[in-house]
Amino acid sequence: MNGALAIARYTLVELSRRRILLVFFVIGALGILGLGVGLKILYSVVSTSQGGFGPSNVDPAAFNHFIELAFVSYIFGALGIFGLLIAYGIGMTAIYHDLDSGAAVSIFSKPVSRVAFTSGKIAAALAALLVIMGVLAVEARLVMFLFGGGLENALTGAVLAVIGNTMVVMLLVLALSTWMNNIVAAIAAFIYYNVITGVISFVHNLTDSGVIGSGVVKTIFNILYWLVPHQLVSSATGDLVRAQVAIQGERGTTAIAGVPPASTTGDVVWWAFVVCVLCGLLYYSVRRREV
Amino acid sequence: MAGVVSVDGLRKRYRSRDPWAVDGVTFALEPGQAFGLLGPNGAGKSTVVKIIAGLLRPDEGKVELFGSDPGNPASRKDLGFAPEDPDFPKFLRAAEVLDYFASLLGLDEQERKRRIPETLEFAGLDKERRQVRQFSKGMKQRLGIAQAILGRPKLLILDEPTADLDPLGRRDVRALIDQLKDSGVAVLLNSHLLSEVELVCDTVAIMAKGRVLKEGTMAEVVPQGKNLEDVFVELVEANAPPRDQLPSFITEGNKS
Repeated sequence: MNGALAIARYTLVELSRRRILLVFFVIGALGILGLGVGLKILYSVVSTSQGGFGPSNVDPAAFNHFIELAFVSYIFGALGIFGLLIAYGIGMTAIYHDLDSGAAVSIFSKPVSRVAFTSGKIAAALAALLVIMGVLAVEARLVMFLFGGGLENALTGAVLAVIGNTMVVMLLVLALSTWMNNIVAAIAAFIYYNVITGVISFVHNLTDSGVIGSGVVKTIFNILYWLVPHQLVSSATGDLVRAQVAIQGERGTTAIAGVPPASTTGDVVWWAFVVCVLCGLLYYSVRRREV
Repeated sequence: MAGVVSVDGLRKRYRSRDPWAVDGVTFALEPGQAFGLLGPNGAGKSTVVKIIAGLLRPDEGKVELFGSDPGNPASRKDLGFAPEDPDFPKFLRAAEVLDYFASLLGLDEQERKRRIPETLEFAGLDKERRQVRQFSKGMKQRLGIAQAILGRPKLLILDEPTADLDPLGRRDVRALIDQLKDSGVAVLLNSHLLSEVELVCDTVAIMAKGRVLKEGTMAEVVPQGKNLEDVFVELVEANAPPRDQLPSFITEGNKS
């Protein structure tokens, strides 16, 4: 237990000194702030200039709410991208650098088990991911107050989904990078998680909604779908569309039909199972590794 | 008192199509003994010590460290291992590396506060504030020896410990080995510096191509009137193809 704590502690110290993670974090933080302030300035300029809302005479309160929706939409996208970048950054370095540099030789000659090493590394990687994403989420939530607030729950849901998805990517890269070069591991994880899994999920959705009617294809993709991680989806997208409909009235009601559904309990349970499998795979890789 | 290390019929190869890196090595190490493992490059010395340190798994044979399998973390509690070309988490400073490893050794805070400054001073790194990634090879080697002695081990394995050290550093390592031997610590020394081995070791084994060619006390291995280097060269050359030809572009230079 002490070994795992020491490994977690000093892995966190190392991660905190990696410039690449700091750069991603700073760009993300400045981006969120810049986006929020920029949209607010745009709103202020438009609302104070004569004829600012144009001939359609848009209600200023509705326009303010529209700007907030735009901000939240961009924030969801930005958090997803920065979450992935940070997950790749942590996953590619947390274990690989110890193995590649030879530091693992000194570490593993100490009375520390491979279970303790793996647990410590996972704990540190998760803590770093949660802290960075948590700070970005808090900043986003504070910036939302510029617009009066009202969509905070959507943001919380979206952040939780992003953290869940990035955890899977990070564990996958960590496990692969004990077997192979960390850049190759990142590329393999990207192909598996973003390309292969994405295609399988897409075709599965088509068969599920009846667009593809072939029984054989449906059976194959039903099986494949339960062999790959499911990306978690929050109810945030739906919340956003409903808010837009509220602004636009009857004109926007058709948009709701195209909104991807939020993840079900089954998806969350499958996600937890995948996380456990990846932790097990990581432990197996570390245990088998000779240094 | 039980033996410190027991190696019996050890065999190891890295891939099934490769020749044996270690082929039937047998020896034992007792408390207070300094054992020198010698051999040319690729003889299998580092593989042997890595198996003893639990870093590699043997394919055949039996290895015991303090009576247990070296793969068992508890058996490594009294082991200090200074690897060849040591490296460490590169964004940490020397004191942090030692604190990290002291935690892995299970030393309490009071013991860490006492031992770490003294160990850093011994290694000549007490004033060093840079991160490990900015260290020279010699500084890393000093830190490697420092972390190996931090837990006050009963077995100290030194794999080419003085390769990157200056003469003063070498002298300090020799003094360290003498002191540890006197206090009952067993020392396993891998080194190409035969004069150094001759000075500090009681027993030696000379390896080539994964096999032990000769083993015994220094008196048994080195006959009167010869030194360890003579014996080493004779044994190794007798087990290797002759290498007396210089590259042709060197010898051609003499003609023009």
